[in-house]
Amino acid sequence: MSKIGVFVCHCGENISATVDCAKVAETAAGYDGVVYSIDYKYMCSDPGQSLIKSAIIEKGLTGVVVASCSPRMHEPTFRKACAEAGLNPYMCEMANLREHCSWVHEKGDATTEKAIDLVRILVEKVKKNHSLNAIKVPVTKTALVIGGGIAGIQASLDIANSGHKVILIERDPSIGGHMSQLSETFPTLDCSQCILTPRMVEVAQHENITLYTYAELESLEGFVGNFKAKIRRKSKSLDEKICTGCGQCTTKCPVKKIPSEFNEGLGKRTAIYVPFPQAVPNKPVIDRVNCTYYIKGKCKVCEIVCPTKAIRFDQEDTIVEAEVGAIVVATGFTVKQPDFFPEYGFGKYPDVITGLQFERLASASGPTLGEIRRPSDGKVPEKIVFIACAGSRDPAKGIPYCSKICCMYIAKHAMLYQHKVHGGKSYVFYMDIRAGGKMYEEFVRRAIEDDGVNYIRGRVSRIYEKNGKLIVKGADTLLGAMPVDIDADMVVLATAGIANEGSEELAQKLHTSYDSYHFFSEAHPKLKPVETNTAGIFLAGACQSPKDIPESVAMASGAAVKVACLFSQDELTREPLIAVVNRQAAPVFSSCVGCFLCVSACPYQAIEKEEIKNRTGEVIKTIAKVNPGLCQGCGTCVAFCRTKSIDIQGYTHEEMYSEVMALLNEY
Amino acid sequence: MDELRKRAKELLESKTISVVIGYEEGTCNRTRALFVEKPEEASKLIFDSRCVLNLATYITKQEVKAKGKMAIAATIPVMRSIIQLAYEFQVSDKNLLVLGITPESNLMEFKDLLEVETYIHKFEIEINASYREKLDKLAGMTQTERWKFWIDELSPCFKCYACRAACPMCYCHRCTVDFNQPQWIPVPSHELGNLEWHIMRAVHLMGRCIDCDGCANACPLGIPINLLNKRLLEDAKRHFGGYQPVLKGDHLMSTFKPDDKENFIR
Repeated sequence: MSKIGVFVCHCGENISATVDCAKVAETAAGYDGVVYSIDYKYMCSDPGQSLIKSAIIEKGLTGVVVASCSPRMHEPTFRKACAEAGLNPYMCEMANLREHCSWVHEKGDATTEKAIDLVRILVEKVKKNHSLNAIKVPVTKTALVIGGGIAGIQASLDIANSGHKVILIERDPSIGGHMSQLSETFPTLDCSQCILTPRMVEVAQHENITLYTYAELESLEGFVGNFKAKIRRKSKSLDEKICTGCGQCTTKCPVKKIPSEFNEGLGKRTAIYVPFPQAVPNKPVIDRVNCTYYIKGKCKVCEIVCPTKAIRFDQEDTIVEAEVGAIVVATGFTVKQPDFFPEYGFGKYPDVITGLQFERLASASGPTLGEIRRPSDGKVPEKIVFIACAGSRDPAKGIPYCSKICCMYIAKHAMLYQHKVHGGKSYVFYMDIRAGGKMYEEFVRRAIEDDGVNYIRGRVSRIYEKNGKLIVKGADTLLGAMPVDIDADMVVLATAGIANEGSEELAQKLHTSYDSYHFFSEAHPKLKPVETNTAGIFLAGACQSPKDIPESVAMASGAAVKVACLFSQDELTREPLIAVVNRQAAPVFSSCVGCFLCVSACPYQAIEKEEIKNRTGEVIKTIAKVNPGLCQGCGTCVAFCRTKSIDIQGYTHEEMYSEVMALLNEY
Repeated sequence: MDELRKRAKELLESKTISVVIGYEEGTCNRTRALFVEKPEEASKLIFDSRCVLNLATYITKQEVKAKGKMAIAATIPVMRSIIQLAYEFQVSDKNLLVLGITPESNLMEFKDLLEVETYIHKFEIEINASYREKLDKLAGMTQTERWKFWIDELSPCFKCYACRAACPMCYCHRCTVDFNQPQWIPVPSHELGNLEWHIMRAVHLMGRCIDCDGCANACPLGIPINLLNKRLLEDAKRHFGGYQPVLKGDHLMSTFKPDDKENFIR
């Protein structure tokens, strides 16, 4: 016979203001099986918890219903309290009288009635509850970090420094990401490469980090603590062990006119190339799409000039299999490219460029060695216009969100221009200036007040060429939408930051969710910003949404801590609220008929086949089995199973049915 | 069908097959299923236009499977059922040989199920004109009228489960309606319970029913329950470009694809 205790919380006045808590407790006391029922001002407080604990011990309770706030808030608190008093924590249930009742209804009898209903259904459920035990799964203490930008680098170093192994994979030939392309960084104007390259080197030299550049994730199987990753190492057409990185090949390569990705197309590179001089690893790769040998079948100049004979034309992609316990996704972002802004002539006029291209012009390692020269004829622009929100915050363009970093980098760009081109005139068209951050607003003010950048609040409708000038037609909305025409020499568009190419495919490989913009989705926008919905997979940096460097680094360190926490134990403890396929006595064994349609319904690939064998080892029946490490308890398979052979522990058919019946039956 | 009898006899004599499932003459000018285990009994096998019972229903039965390797005289609907059953891991080449019967009533033996699959894909699952008319009529009704139609049709059902017994896809050892802890679907024959049972069954058959009409033929009350299945087949065609049983691939009801038009699922 069940002995249930009901504990009704006032939550200060949050519940008691609209619900008659004493009446709820009194009514609950009359239910079959309820042996103790009480209301109290703060059930989560220490005396409140003691009330529950002593009732469990003194009354010998077999089940507890706490009628208070959302289980999201305090379920762990009350379950822990029950466990301390010797009751299985899963025999404790919470009726949500706050979010589901008192907060959303006015004071009145009906509100109290609803509260009583909520308590009653949980009383009936608890009677059917079973004791459950936490699940233990082993952990492989190696992390996989995907993406070698600043976020991936930071996460790798933090995890490696906490004493765990890291595999860092990067799609491009070098790590460094977008940060390596930047000139100076806001708000301090310190050189981006100067602060980044030491970290890149540290990654390459760290004994706990295995670095695979020019590599991508091929597939991922498994679950938290026990992932199996296949990594495709794309062929570099080079034996990295022999290559010394002397650079003979890159200087002698006859194909010299390929637009350089690192310089955002403003410079050229060869077919065998190192993306930039500070690249890590500083060894070349052959771009097979543009290499003469792969196109025409002859050339091999690089092979001839290579002093160590390291070139391998017939090298094939290799697949590396790795067992990892956790994954940090740090694949970053990209910026909107040409064709997206026909009204601004982007792609048509060479002197209309993106912010990232301006970074290369302003960078000492860039194609102009840091001088601001326009791409068309190399002249120093005397008038320059920066346009903020090019694509961003524009629902008509399909990018309703704010790209966040542009306001700051435009201020930086304008400032750098003013520092480098004395007497030059710079204009910024903006919608709002969003400079939230330490020293950010001061930085923008500095650009306006000290460096004399002209900020014009208004949008640009069109850019066209006239007499060798780019006519920027805009409006100044602070002067009554007065039309403004500027005959500029160069225009920089702060194009929207968008999800990186291939992020959707990667999310599908990882079985994690992504939003409608293809950015990776965090598990909770506030309280779980680095976790994904898949246990053991974490996010860092701009792959989740556009971010600046400090934010990316902070997020990377956050993700690294999550990984380190995961690796701090030899076994993982998981909530046992997972799906289980029933087992019955022979000759039925299970009501599962083994149609395995649940396999494709499961979003977590948690369902496997289990063979039931007789004593001679002969297979009698094949049924479904849920992998407890992978199952997230979503219940899709339960709904899908025709024979009702699957139950979610803690939410079984019986428990759910008793809740429904408690609600439908008159008491 | 001399060919079929001859082949069945050969297979049983050579002991490559333990049981041949086909049709025999029944009572009242009807045909019924025959399980031939002795070569001399192969002569009882018949095939004509009265043979509409879906024999695939028997190949999932433990007592039939226990006899050993089965051969089955299979018309196109039966072959479709077999492929769907193979997709659901209920039969395989190991325990089943298909003796196909073409629409022209010729014997066509298949080497394996892959051949069967290729063959049946030559024929679309099509809803015939008389059913088409009924479906259109239903679709033209208002919601209230349609509700009344189904309540009227389904109220007399006394849950004899003949529909379930005739259906090759209803092979579960424990049907949802037999699940009684808790009893989600009421067993007694009343309007709501009947409605729940038939709708539940139709949904369970979505993406699996191959439109053999076995359920409607079996119903002693002549309730057109197959209209529900046909309507779902139509929906499958409209939303997902049709349905054909396959040996391997995605199940209609449990597969989410990035290019599905329902964006919310992403």
